[in-house]
Amino acid sequence: MSDLNKLTIKEAREGLLSKKFSSKELVVDCLSQIKKNASNLNTFVTVCEKESIKSAETADISKPLGGIPVAVKDNFLTLGIRTTASSKLLDKYIAQYDATVVAKLKSAGAIIIGKTNMDAWAHGSSTETSDFGPTKNPWDITRLPGGSSGGSAAAIAADEAIISVGSETAGSIRQPASWSGVVGFKPTYGRVSRYGIIAMKSSTDSPGPICKTVDDAAEVLGIISGHDPFDATSIDEVSWIKPSPLTSLKGIKLGLPLSYFSPQTKPEVKTTILAAAETLKKLGAEIIELSDVLDPKYSIAVYTILQRSEVSSNLARFDGIRYGHDRSYFSEEAKRRIMLGTYSLSAGYYDAYYLKAQKVRTLICQDFDKHFTRVDAMISPISPTTALPVGATKGQSMFGEIQDQLVEPSSIAGLAGISIPCGFDNNGLPIGLNIMAPQLREDIVYQIAKIFEDNTEYHLQRPNL
Amino acid sequence: MTITPIIGLEVHIELKTKSKMFCGCDAQHFHAQPNTHTCPVCLGLPGALPVPNKTACEWTIKLGLALGCSINEETFFERKNYFYPDLAKGYQITQLQKPFAINGHLTIDGHDIRINRAHQEEDTGKSIHVGDETLLDFNRSGVPLVEIVSEPDITSAGEAKIYLNKIQQIVRYLGVSDADIEKGSMRCEPTVNLYVDGKYYTPLVEIKNVASLTGVMNAINFEIDRQTKQFESDHVEKNSTNKTTRGWDADKNQTFLQREKEGSADYRYFPEPDIPPIVFTKDQIETIRATLPELPDQKIAKYKSLNLSDFDANLLAEDLVFSSIFDKVLNGSTDPEYAKFITNLLIGPLKTISLDIKKIKPDYFQKLFSRRSDLSSTIIKQLILESYQSDTDPLEIAKAKNLFQVSDTGAIEELAKQVITDNPKAVNDYKKNPLSIGFLVGQLMKVSGGSANPQLAKQLLEKLLS
Repeated sequence: MSDLNKLTIKEAREGLLSKKFSSKELVVDCLSQIKKNASNLNTFVTVCEKESIKSAETADISKPLGGIPVAVKDNFLTLGIRTTASSKLLDKYIAQYDATVVAKLKSAGAIIIGKTNMDAWAHGSSTETSDFGPTKNPWDITRLPGGSSGGSAAAIAADEAIISVGSETAGSIRQPASWSGVVGFKPTYGRVSRYGIIAMKSSTDSPGPICKTVDDAAEVLGIISGHDPFDATSIDEVSWIKPSPLTSLKGIKLGLPLSYFSPQTKPEVKTTILAAAETLKKLGAEIIELSDVLDPKYSIAVYTILQRSEVSSNLARFDGIRYGHDRSYFSEEAKRRIMLGTYSLSAGYYDAYYLKAQKVRTLICQDFDKHFTRVDAMISPISPTTALPVGATKGQSMFGEIQDQLVEPSSIAGLAGISIPCGFDNNGLPIGLNIMAPQLREDIVYQIAKIFEDNTEYHLQRPNL
Repeated sequence: MTITPIIGLEVHIELKTKSKMFCGCDAQHFHAQPNTHTCPVCLGLPGALPVPNKTACEWTIKLGLALGCSINEETFFERKNYFYPDLAKGYQITQLQKPFAINGHLTIDGHDIRINRAHQEEDTGKSIHVGDETLLDFNRSGVPLVEIVSEPDITSAGEAKIYLNKIQQIVRYLGVSDADIEKGSMRCEPTVNLYVDGKYYTPLVEIKNVASLTGVMNAINFEIDRQTKQFESDHVEKNSTNKTTRGWDADKNQTFLQREKEGSADYRYFPEPDIPPIVFTKDQIETIRATLPELPDQKIAKYKSLNLSDFDANLLAEDLVFSSIFDKVLNGSTDPEYAKFITNLLIGPLKTISLDIKKIKPDYFQKLFSRRSDLSSTIIKQLILESYQSDTDPLEIAKAKNLFQVSDTGAIEELAKQVITDNPKAVNDYKKNPLSIGFLVGQLMKVSGGSANPQLAKQLLEKLLS
């Protein structure tokens, strides 16, 4: 058999269990796809070729992800495997333990095929600011895949792995999923443990799956979620369980926040999202236009201040004494963020910046609470645009913050969300639909995404590589 | 020049919890092989997250309650950002805005030393300097600490010593720390300046590296003296930027300048995003309060109400084990005579051996007390020790050894006659100087094997020799 790399979890498991092919064959197909695209796409920082084949030979396929290759974003610590967060500062760092998510994937039988590229330290929304070179968008290699989990999203779009995991702090799962035409499931903050993930903005970092289908993403979320005694911010809930899909959205109220369609929104993006709303309406949902949702632009400043502040502290441990390199190995972007965060936390500025940002964060949370009394979920574009050309971030230190403004409010509020393919622009570039629901309502997110996917074919289209 | 020293104390107490503040590593680090009690969390490895130790939080509240503090029902941890090689994460997790405990006090000689706060934090690793190299040991990294900050209400080195002794005593009573200054489980940093002529304040000086109680006193006295001379010569007053840090050199018995312009340090505190706010309800706080033992000051007051001297009361309350033994023996009695009786036995013969409270039998003391007129005080002391060691009823021992005092006039008179015959020289001495009767009484006691009633012996000797 060939092209095993194109399979979903369900298809791969069926094949493995019926012995149509082995886990090793599955892994080898993914590896050869990675090799084939390596120079074009640059999706991986580290490919675990020998280790993954070795693991595949002894894979226990009776486990839920037994023998399934997973691409892991390079900010997840992986025992004995180089973990760089795409920063040269860590180019020699071999992780000493497994992140909880990695440990859960491993114990479910998954095989780590490699570590995916990202914006260095997750600082960005393009995967162009990786110290190991940019990742390219499989739909058009002159364009960016989005980020910071751009390597994971592009690896899935290019069928280089069956599943992948990334992390979102403000859009870093959903935005690359949108630009790369795959499914990115951003769980409630605290639903999935942050233990062992190189901290970016600790108060909103949310690990989650990036996969080919809604069901795959839900499957992986079920495996990696659940309370972790090693993470004090992890929610005291058992693993999330995927519900049985609905046959109609009757009774579900979907909010359409008008403030999420700014004049800067690309016209094709707007018409595609409105068409998706129409599809959902046909599937039984009641669409309610919300005219008074807080303009997402306010979240840009809030996110910027809080993110820089936490980053300046989180990156202090890379002090030049350990990890092999000194602080001169931080790239421009990291240095800029450390300096800004140091400034915003300084005596005399703390109240004006950090404290004020926290207050506005509370207002954003309250705004969502208010609207979620009227609707069950909201839908919007993920990004005001589709994949931008390579080089778009040059000289744009606020690139990510502006690109991610439609997903920043829900990240800041710790909500559950997803990006699913819902159409293409005039250049054939994917457009993602953002579904946002209250904290711990992954079930609603799943139901809407699943029924939409079942009734459309956008997710079946693959890039021409 | 009239000088009033103004002294504030920062005291760090290392809690003796089983595990560290934010991870499961063994918190006991004294003499452990370097870097053996470590994990990703206390090494500050990428991705590692702190999970607060519940026992440590409860103990901090307990200590706060014992220091008369109010307890904040909702608290949170903060990050204090600074660089130091033995600070693994580049920040220390501590509390600034909302400590567990605030506004307490300790009473010393009738006046209150206010306590600003008792907050929870983590210890750093240790830098060990060997020649030109610095070695790092992270065994101590993440060990729970409570920092107790006093207001500057202390006015002398002597008062500082009493304050520290009291804190040490309370901490040990609570069983939350060994509070051993030499081993570093209790650390003190005095801040000293002077109030001169009721008008001027001299610049603040924080003293570091003081490793003993005597050191604290000597350092404070040295600073009072040094600052007095300094102010006489330069007349510089305190301002917001001239606080300095001085180290204590115990060998040279002097402080030396370590850092200037402390006021400019900016630790960029902000709430620790890895740990949600911590809530203890009123009920939970009251449950902790209910576990407080009777504290030293309460014990001392109780002992004094039994007419014991200040000295004895303080001695008994000095440590919890000893006072618990006393309380067990006292067994609720309010008889001052009995209290004095057992005090003499406990501070006397029993003080020299280490006592096991489980082996202490209050009724042995009561039995001896009830027969105290028939036993000499020397015999009683021997009996209590022997009865404790052999776990035998002291009166049985006394009976077996025939130690009860003989108050039978006839029998003692026979012995007295014998003593007079055997000691002609002493008899002559007595005739010249009646005060020398003591020797003959002693001889009589000796031949009676200590069983004679000494009062009666003296009376009979005097009668026979008159």
